[in-house]
Amino acid sequence: MDETVAEQWFKRVAEISAPQPIRASSRLKSRIYSALMRAEAAEGVLASLSECEQGGGELCWWEKLILITPMPDTARSLNHCHFCHARILGEQVEGAPVHWRGCPYAEFQK
Amino acid sequence: VEAVLRRDRKATAEFVTLYADTVYAYIRHRLAPRIDLVDDLMQDIFLAAWQYLPRYRGESSLEGWLLGIARHKIEDHYRDRLRLTSAWGEDTEISYPGLTVFPEWDESLDNEAAQNRARRILTGLPEAYRLALLWRYWEQRSTREMAVATGKTRRV
Repeated sequence: MDETVAEQWFKRVAEISAPQPIRASSRLKSRIYSALMRAEAAEGVLASLSECEQGGGELCWWEKLILITPMPDTARSLNHCHFCHARILGEQVEGAPVHWRGCPYAEFQK
Repeated sequence: VEAVLRRDRKATAEFVTLYADTVYAYIRHRLAPRIDLVDDLMQDIFLAAWQYLPRYRGESSLEGWLLGIARHKIEDHYRDRLRLTSAWGEDTEISYPGLTVFPEWDESLDNEAAQNRARRILTGLPEAYRLALLWRYWEQRSTREMAVATGKTRRV
């Protein structure tokens, strides 16, 4: 096979190997989100839950509970997902049984 | 973007939801057949995006900007792997053992089975050759660019 034909052949293979509609798994999305939250928390204080709500984000029941519980604002700004079993399920199980409204790990299952 | 920069957890989740599929499809295609590397690279890309997000000026779409980061990460991967691999010898004869399965390649490449066979052939090649082919033809890099990036001699 001379070089010109080889060049044409490889170019053709590359052309027909166009990206297929493939989706990232919910586990991968969960892991990426967890990694981002860890990075954000390491950089400084996270936006408070009330700020997130005002920004249009929907809080999960756990976050709503934290919001109405008397505690310092700094405690409300912690990465609460880190302590939630939904995170562990979301990171480990594809199609995890997490269905709470406002939970990012439940959103990734859709 | 502003909400993510404020460390708004809901905005961060939306950021992942909106762009993970696009970036995933892109890098999976670019790294094939080494799809075992995709997950780690995805995390690297999103963490790099978070790190560089303050520099995003909105001159291109966020998706395009993210894919640009993904492209750089993949090039880093190719460059690093080609530098590391020992199979890439200057005097090594390159053969194309899998090409014999394409006697009438013009007709046979237009279907999914051909794509699968191409991937199987790529999988069977030594890593250095596979990476070089992917970089050259899928990423459309010139042999000169590849030689400069890897510190190898260009041989046409």
